[in-house]
Amino acid sequence: MFDCYDLFDEVQLFYVMKWEIRLHGRGGQGVVTASKIIAEAAFAEGYQSQSIPFFGAERRGSPVTAFTRISEHEIRERSQIYHPDYLLILDPLVMRTVDVFQGLKSGGGVVISSPSAIERDVFPNIELTVGLVDGVGVSIRNDLVVAGNPVVNIPAIGAFLRIFPEISIECVEKIVLEKFGNRSVRALYSSYDETEVFRIRGSREKKKEERKKPEKVWIPASKPAKGVAGITGYWRDFRPVIDYGRCTGCLNCWIHCPEGSISRKNGDVEIDYTFCKGCLVCLAVCPRKAISSEREVSA
Amino acid sequence: MKELLLTGNQAVAHAVRNSGVEVVSAYPITPSTPVVEEIAKMVERGEMNAKLILVESEHSAMSACIGASLGGVRAFTATSSHGLAYMHEMLHYAVNARTPVVMAVANRAIGPGWNIWADLSDSMSQRDVGWIQLYCESNQEIYDSIAMAYRVAEHEDVILPVMVCYDGFVLSHTSMPVKPDDLREFTGEYEPLWKVDFENPETHGNILPPDYFMELRYEICRSHAAALKIMERVEREFYETFSRRTPLIFESYRLDDADVAIVTAGAISSEAKIAVDSLREKGVRAGLLRIRCFRPLPSHRIVQALRDVERVYVFDRSVSVGSEGQIFQELRSAFYGFQSSPEICGYVVGLGGRDVTSEIFENAVTGRINSEWVMEVVV
Repeated sequence: MFDCYDLFDEVQLFYVMKWEIRLHGRGGQGVVTASKIIAEAAFAEGYQSQSIPFFGAERRGSPVTAFTRISEHEIRERSQIYHPDYLLILDPLVMRTVDVFQGLKSGGGVVISSPSAIERDVFPNIELTVGLVDGVGVSIRNDLVVAGNPVVNIPAIGAFLRIFPEISIECVEKIVLEKFGNRSVRALYSSYDETEVFRIRGSREKKKEERKKPEKVWIPASKPAKGVAGITGYWRDFRPVIDYGRCTGCLNCWIHCPEGSISRKNGDVEIDYTFCKGCLVCLAVCPRKAISSEREVSA
Repeated sequence: MKELLLTGNQAVAHAVRNSGVEVVSAYPITPSTPVVEEIAKMVERGEMNAKLILVESEHSAMSACIGASLGGVRAFTATSSHGLAYMHEMLHYAVNARTPVVMAVANRAIGPGWNIWADLSDSMSQRDVGWIQLYCESNQEIYDSIAMAYRVAEHEDVILPVMVCYDGFVLSHTSMPVKPDDLREFTGEYEPLWKVDFENPETHGNILPPDYFMELRYEICRSHAAALKIMERVEREFYETFSRRTPLIFESYRLDDADVAIVTAGAISSEAKIAVDSLREKGVRAGLLRIRCFRPLPSHRIVQALRDVERVYVFDRSVSVGSEGQIFQELRSAFYGFQSSPEICGYVVGLGGRDVTSEIFENAVTGRINSEWVMEVVV
């Protein structure tokens, strides 16, 4: 569990009125929107601000990053953020594939949306203020589920406001109300109230930074290989489950699986959950309705 | 006018609406697609009195803009990368037909090696077609440039199309404060010198034999030279109207007493300013010359601005394959024949969206980068 201790004396104060915030999440969770809402709120509070989305796979479930800069002065930076003051982690699953803490400043703040506590050895060995909230829980309780997916960006912003006093919750409320209506405002406030704030010094072993060796790229071609896109199982929100009592082994799902994640072993059809992205095409095409879906239990 | 937090693409759409554009034709491509999505919403909501012509390709989009412009109305389109490449034939047409179309180009790399990210190679590949080219460093500048572009394009001494270029995603999808001033009075009503007129029929795009063709091209080159003078005027008038200095030709930043100068174009210039300030704090007298207008190239003005510096560091976010970065090439040839010329070094940076930080410029000036291709993201 958390090893919380009062570090108030040691915590660095930021004298420079400039903050860099990096957001991590997965496609569909509203990472880019969260970045923009924070920028808009800071702007409404009289600061200069900037919101930068970083687009990668552009697919639901894949890791997404966005950046927000807030400053008293004109913002001249156009690059990404490498040494953030604050981190917003909208989904604990992202931590498995992305080194989210990279470059985080000592004395900085971290918001994590997670249903369970985060071990101390997950955090780097620097002084941090953490805001922990069960974003999915807040979202479900406030009926903020869109197309089957709980929206976690609003709860994450609520938690962020607890550790970032420069923006008032009333200011964010206005923006959220205009864009998304009452339910989101309720989620914002309940997240704000439920967020557990504590200080911590992590105990994570410092990873040796691997320097990417220069590679020759002769032609734009990639060899077909299992897992070239990474462990895509982490992109999944829903898990297809086969009822072997009904499955006849007709292989219709095997033909339709866009990721080649279904195989046939010893006469039984099997799903490779390491790479299945959870698109549920198999469920839709199964003539025997032998496949059902279950929500992934995150972290 | 209240400042808004807009993406580069939204800034374009607001400026197009506020400049009184009457015909927009486009085909979607990342990262310029949101420009036309935004315009479509404005037309739908009745905020913009324009005809939106959706076509099946960029080639047709440009053709529709040329047709509309010949019909005597203000026309606009937006594209990127492969879309711009696909337009190539009609880009020539727009110049020779003398249609003052304005186009937004959200700069993006060209594949394969599929890449949707920032790279100026798409518009740099079109440098010889005869379009006026402006490069932007902020969303406010994008907004201002659209209106200024119409003023330059439609001036009777110019009558040429203009592309307003801005780095894809780095500006196109990044939200920044923009003051969306009312541009209608500044751009005014479009009064074409000639247009397709059914009462007085004439043929446009007719045959032009060897006896005349060189004269046509000569006049286009003369108009490019004249455009620089017009830009100076438009720059001044813009400042008088909006009390905001938006350079059109180039911007000098802390260049007056500089020993070393950085030369860039586009969004990376803003990072270069951070480097200039940081270098000055460390006792290096650095300055920046940011190219806004690459076509026509303001060669004489650039030489004037840089002739007293000792070293010039040019950073291109594009490369002319088989040669060097385009700005680097052209800067060196601008100095040809001058007795005192600074030493000029060229770097290729940020291709295909590789991040460009202020540290890259600083390291180059302090001699910590010894490769002409800066591959590393220095942080």
